[in-house]
Amino acid sequence: MSTFRPAVLGIALLVCCVVAGCGSSSSSAPSSGASAGDGQWSYVSGDGKTYTAPETPKRIVAHAYAAAALMEFGIKPVGVYADGPVKDDVGLKGVDFSGVEILGETWGEIDVEQAATLRPDLIVGDWWSGEKAYSGLESGVKERSKKIADLAQVVGPSVGDSAVELVEGYEELARTLGGDTSAGGSRAEFERAVERFEAAVAGQEGLTALAISPFGQDYAVAVPKHAPELLDFQRWGLDVMVPRRPDPEFPYWQTLSFEQVDTYQADLLLFDDRNYPGNLKVLEKAPTADRIKAFAAGAYTTWPAYWLHRYSDYADELNRLAEVIEGADPGVA
Amino acid sequence: MTAHAAVAAPSAPAARSTRARSTGLLLAVAALVATCVLSMTLGSRPVPLETVWQALVDFDPRSASQEVVRELRVPRTCLGLLVGAALGLSGTLLQGVTRNPLADPGIMGISAGAAAFVVFGVMVLGAQELVAYIWLGFLGAALATVLVYGVASLGREGATPVKLALVGAAVTAALSSITTAIVLIDVDALDELRAWQVGTLGGRFAPVVWQVLPFIAVGSVAALACGRALNGLALGEDVARALGLRVRLSRTVIFASVAVLAGAATAACGPIAFLGLAVPHIARMICGPDYRWILGYSLVLGPVVLLLADVAGRLVLPSGELQVGVVLGVLGAPTFIALVRYRNLAEL
Repeated sequence: MSTFRPAVLGIALLVCCVVAGCGSSSSSAPSSGASAGDGQWSYVSGDGKTYTAPETPKRIVAHAYAAAALMEFGIKPVGVYADGPVKDDVGLKGVDFSGVEILGETWGEIDVEQAATLRPDLIVGDWWSGEKAYSGLESGVKERSKKIADLAQVVGPSVGDSAVELVEGYEELARTLGGDTSAGGSRAEFERAVERFEAAVAGQEGLTALAISPFGQDYAVAVPKHAPELLDFQRWGLDVMVPRRPDPEFPYWQTLSFEQVDTYQADLLLFDDRNYPGNLKVLEKAPTADRIKAFAAGAYTTWPAYWLHRYSDYADELNRLAEVIEGADPGVA
Repeated sequence: MTAHAAVAAPSAPAARSTRARSTGLLLAVAALVATCVLSMTLGSRPVPLETVWQALVDFDPRSASQEVVRELRVPRTCLGLLVGAALGLSGTLLQGVTRNPLADPGIMGISAGAAAFVVFGVMVLGAQELVAYIWLGFLGAALATVLVYGVASLGREGATPVKLALVGAAVTAALSSITTAIVLIDVDALDELRAWQVGTLGGRFAPVVWQVLPFIAVGSVAALACGRALNGLALGEDVARALGLRVRLSRTVIFASVAVLAGAATAACGPIAFLGLAVPHIARMICGPDYRWILGYSLVLGPVVLLLADVAGRLVLPSGELQVGVVLGVLGAPTFIALVRYRNLAEL
């Protein structure tokens, strides 16, 4: 993570890199492994390989998001490593990590010695196809932290072009691990939320949205192609605007200056929710902020940026967004 | 030493005629005006010259481009003028008073002091506003300067150049390690510090300009009045004293000016490297070793260099901007080496 335009993009982008890694397009591999009989465990992981074990792994160390996803299906890891402080992470709201060892709360830093004392038999993290690495093993992670991979085999579903696929990937992994997926977690609730979202969008013809992250002296616009949930929103009918010139070195965003804030005009602004309301304050202070029509009209909310791993979170976010969209005005821009 | 003596003696024939120096200074002012025009007209948003002019003389609030000029570029240019002048002057003062050609606000603990206080404010006081950072940075810079000068003043000879350099390095190291210790514990503080520590004129708007204006104005007047004292100190303490200079008082005034100037500049924009180091040398190359002239030239050349670097930073990227601290860091080192190669730096 050290080689993206150094110091240029600002921390917002670094954070995105941290959370989003550099995975991109290729869709998640069919994670159709199954726990075959005889106690033999096998799983087709995000990297396309099939991993097996003589018996179903029980002592799991996972990336915090992966852990949250597995815990929805009753699989509780023994240890987790997170990208930042667990209590503040927008993607870990309401996750009960009591009894779970926290092995790191800074991106790229995992206490492998402590992890070893947990004697894990499986490590779980997202597979970033762009970086060809699992969460916790990406480039930029400290070498001594990467030794986590020596403790057990590392698996996880791929971050593809849909956050739904990632959530489903974890459901599948949980099933092979003996989790209770019969109820489908909060799947039914999620599907209702999708319907509601689609209905809300359908009722607002011509409504456009723009996903942004103002930071320091920059006004960064998200590129939906690299944001699985924004691709989902587009699939469900919302017109999320696509910036024309993504940054060459870090195509997750097009970075604009405050002089250029009126480049893209949408009816609804979506702030990156990982550093909200800090990024709102940054924009508020810019004298040109009112040139963004949606901002001047107060038509803004947040979007769940790069962290969705659970049906329940996705359902909550979709219901909230549906409500905002129902009240939005397609004539702002 | 003899060369310095010749220059410092009031009646000695000047190395360069006053007329040549005045002409040079006028040219420098012309360059500054041209730089300001560039800073108003060039940026990540293409704005025609005509619109820039309209924004200044006949402002139409409905025009987004005119608003960009008036609300973003004018304050940014003003801030560049203030901070450039402050850093150029404080570099000159420090090099003169410490007789160290490598002195700049960075080695006197000033940047480190400001950074330590910003981080402390973020972690302990929960500061989030840029306005709060400015006061914290200012306080930190001032305290660091007082500390360096105070410790260096201990002992019979007072704050000699060597003691100042040593104490400056020690205080910088101490404050930096405190900052590092805090940011290692507190991730939020690290994020805030990174944002502040790049050094930029962007993202700071009119309120920041008004906030630092009085400090830099007062500091600049005080600095410009220090020329004679610096000329005296350049001769060495004993000669200066023999010439009737009150060495201790002069040093105190000079350090106070440095604290105000560099503190305000660093607080407003974050630490900006290289400027305080290079500008006095450029000035010295043009006008010779008389500090009264060096100060005048630094006052003008500091903003020229800073604003040119800032304009360059706005244009190099296909979209968005590069912070001026980064531009100066990247362009500064090779330029400085070229300068040194081209002509031997004056020994102080």
